[in-house]
Amino acid sequence: MIAPAQPMIDIRSVTKRFGDFTAVNDVSLAIGPAEFITLLGPSGCGKTTLLRMLSGFEHPDQGDIRIDGADVTHLAPYRRNVNQVFQSYALFPHLSVWDNIAFGLRMQKVPAEEQRRRIEEVIDLVALRGFEKRKPTQLSGGQRQRVALARAIVPRPSVLLLDEPLSALDAKLRHQMQLELKRLQKHLGMTFVFVTHDQEEALTMSDRIAVFNQGRLEQLGTAADIYHRPRTAFVADFIGEANLVDAELLQRNGNVGRVRLKGGLEIIVPLDQWPEGHAKAVVSIRPEKVHVSKQPIKAENVFSARVEEEVFQGALDRLTLVTDAGTRLHAIVANESALLEAIHEGDQVWCGLHMDDLVIVAAD
Amino acid sequence: MQTIGLPGTAAPHARKPGLWGWLLLAPMVLWLLLFVVVPTGILAVYSFCQRDDLGRVVFSFTWDNYVRVFDPIYLNILGRSVAYAGLTTIICVAVGYPVGWYIARRPAGLRNLLLLLVMIPFWTSFLIRTYAWIAILKNEGLLNGLLLSAGAITAPLELLYTPVAVVIGLVYAYLPFMILPVYGSAEKVDNALVEAAHDLGAGPVRAFSEVIIPLTLPGIAAGVLLVFVPAIGMFAITDLMGGARVPMIGNVIQNQFFKARNWPFGAALGVVFTLMFVFTYLAVQWHGRRSQR
Amino acid sequence: MKKSCCLILAGVLALAGCKSKEDAKVLNLFAWSEYIPQTVLDGFTAETGIKVNYETFSSGEEMLAKLLAGGVGYDIIQPPDYIAEVLIKEGELLPLDTAKLSGLDNILPEFRGMPHDPQDAYTVPYMTGSVGIVVNTERVTTPVKGFKDLFKPEHSGRIVVVDDGRELVVAALYTLGLGINDITPENIAAARPLLASWFPMIKLFDSDSPKTALLNGDVDLGYVWGGEAAILWDEDKKFQYILPEEGAHIFVDVVAIPAKAPHPDAAHAFISYLLRPEVSKLISDEFPYTNPNGAARKLLTEDQLANPGSYPKTELALDTFRHIGESGALIDELVTDLKNTSGQ
Repeated sequence: MIAPAQPMIDIRSVTKRFGDFTAVNDVSLAIGPAEFITLLGPSGCGKTTLLRMLSGFEHPDQGDIRIDGADVTHLAPYRRNVNQVFQSYALFPHLSVWDNIAFGLRMQKVPAEEQRRRIEEVIDLVALRGFEKRKPTQLSGGQRQRVALARAIVPRPSVLLLDEPLSALDAKLRHQMQLELKRLQKHLGMTFVFVTHDQEEALTMSDRIAVFNQGRLEQLGTAADIYHRPRTAFVADFIGEANLVDAELLQRNGNVGRVRLKGGLEIIVPLDQWPEGHAKAVVSIRPEKVHVSKQPIKAENVFSARVEEEVFQGALDRLTLVTDAGTRLHAIVANESALLEAIHEGDQVWCGLHMDDLVIVAAD
Repeated sequence: MQTIGLPGTAAPHARKPGLWGWLLLAPMVLWLLLFVVVPTGILAVYSFCQRDDLGRVVFSFTWDNYVRVFDPIYLNILGRSVAYAGLTTIICVAVGYPVGWYIARRPAGLRNLLLLLVMIPFWTSFLIRTYAWIAILKNEGLLNGLLLSAGAITAPLELLYTPVAVVIGLVYAYLPFMILPVYGSAEKVDNALVEAAHDLGAGPVRAFSEVIIPLTLPGIAAGVLLVFVPAIGMFAITDLMGGARVPMIGNVIQNQFFKARNWPFGAALGVVFTLMFVFTYLAVQWHGRRSQR
Repeated sequence: MKKSCCLILAGVLALAGCKSKEDAKVLNLFAWSEYIPQTVLDGFTAETGIKVNYETFSSGEEMLAKLLAGGVGYDIIQPPDYIAEVLIKEGELLPLDTAKLSGLDNILPEFRGMPHDPQDAYTVPYMTGSVGIVVNTERVTTPVKGFKDLFKPEHSGRIVVVDDGRELVVAALYTLGLGINDITPENIAAARPLLASWFPMIKLFDSDSPKTALLNGDVDLGYVWGGEAAILWDEDKKFQYILPEEGAHIFVDVVAIPAKAPHPDAAHAFISYLLRPEVSKLISDEFPYTNPNGAARKLLTEDQLANPGSYPKTELALDTFRHIGESGALIDELVTDLKNTSGQ
């Protein structure tokens, strides 16, 4: 997806430092209306700081931020048409569910009748009917989460910020909420900026994902983009799993080249992403893209290897392979049949790598 | 239901203690029995007694002491004590609340340092600190000297031995008892709640009145009790800084025990005073509960 | 319930009291705070080997309360005259064994056979003093001879008085020419308007250290203990002390032995020690009240004897306080009422 001409959020060359530490380093990012974008990265990568600059709790040292066309770089949080769902939910413990949800409308001095109508509506939307009079302490984690959501969307902000809102929920509820959030976002047509360190969450919900590392925007793209065409070793490693193998260019042939992987295995790879003028780079190989069979395989790269280790995981089998040349690769294969193709430790197997599945990323 | 009151009274799921619980409670129960229940009982008994020529308590029943308590003189003094204590409490809230809140919002290291500063005066005798105030406020004292040399005033201000000095002394003495409970409850307020209020469109004033005040109400309530009630009974400050000119109920009670040797009347005043404490406490509790709804 | 309370109380008191009962080389002294020099106590212990436990009180009434409560066995108490009088009447004091005392002759004749103990059978005068008017003559230039000069509107807000209802009522009674020990409702009623006119002029009531406000310059005149005036005069001769012309009284603080004293022999030895001229001089050196010990007075410096606070020159016949019993309540009520009214 390409950023539209009139973005809802326009972050331009924003830098934020805390003392000597640069939390956000020259980040530019345009987010479209009704887009669900995820800021993804490990803790300390700058994603939360960027979110706090959108909500107004922090202000950039350099650069500026526009929301819905207006410069909000130094605007106080209570003057922005932006609401946030906090990681801890931050529900007001002294107020009931109803009063928590009403808080933003009261601050906006929305007429009482309209307040009532909108709160009723959102309570139905997040399925909190019957809990209006409860205090936050009398709710389960999932219910609190929904109150926080309702409270943030009922003032109809142009942007909803979500700061790891699902991290406190157990796995099952988290999956369910991921889908609910996505559905809600579509229903509301609101711009969602979602912060998480959980790549699976990001892949499930996002229209686009912005991967952050050490204060920098590492890569921006759709889930499929990020997964299949990681641009850096960090992205390849952070999203899903990858064999990141050092490679040396041996021979160039147009868009295709022959490289020698660390350990000795030689394969053919696409060179369109090979760093200009470098003899060395890293090849990212997703373990599930390593085809393994006891029978010979058809692929651009075929070689044989020995199974050094096998970890049975039910639907999947995790293998550690050592090629004849001595290169070590991880592979994941589906357990299709228990009888015929069972692969065990010590087996000699055929391996295949399709050239399209190999991604060249810059060496760090 | 969450109740508001002194810290530690909010026990939503209180249950009866078991044998171990009772054993752990025993020292406190014994302490309360010996030093609270028994003396209060003795006080109550004395308040219905009479005194003899030497000031000894004679155990013969009379209502006279209570009749005398409700003499306009003593009611007037009680009223004045309540007014001074009330003013002290208001100033303590106005000064102590921002301090307590400010300290609670500092980083841990600075916070402990500031708390230490609040508590350092307690390391010195209360009387010595009061005499220090006399040195500050007297005609030829520090404050007047400073103001005179700065040219702010031409003649020394009459501060010491005035009601102003009494209120200064009371505020000084009880301010920490406001700061500490406010700090205690402010420290528990998650900063995210304040941010959430701002995020939902509440400016500083609304965030303060709608979120911060209600969340620190237990601390304020505790502070009010800890300041107001003892301030009513304070006598040393009115003597030393007020020049013993304006009698407070504490002075009257002290006088009955140490000078006038009329223990039964002093006891009656004490009983009425204790009942006032209880009613104040219940009123704050009740108000707290109501505002929780 | 009451029985068990008493049992608990008795237990607590027993715990507090069971220090060293068998030790006979001990003297339990119960005296005014800041009235007996430590050198005197140390000297007594060095000479006799008797350890002195010194407990203090700050008013005669406080002493009375603790004595009557009967917890600790005091050997020596130091009541003011009017309290000694009632203790004698109630049989709370041990008759002195003159055979065990020496130096009684040192007491000047005018301090013998006083109304509180006409036979000198129970008490020995320790120190005496007057209550009078002190004036900062640098700040107050008009002559002040008595209460009518002290309580003038021009002195309003510049006066410190002792925070002692009886002394204040007595000042009014003197001014009205009434008997100072006749605390009757009529006399109190007569004193009321006078006191009511005086109270608003008073800047400060202080019994413990009325000299402080005078030294600090917060007030310029005072109705204070003679001993306080003596310290002021010692500090600066501008503080002049006079006995009011309307009348003045002296108080006599005595030493006496409670009837239940556990160590009466040590108590007699202590009284004899106090009566020694050189010991009594030490007391005068530190606490410049009027010393009733004639032999000790001979040891004092001229400057000490010239101090008007200690030895005021007067033609007046000085009264003493008598026990007034429950009439004290009239005084207490009057003073509380007047303070309350003038504090509006």
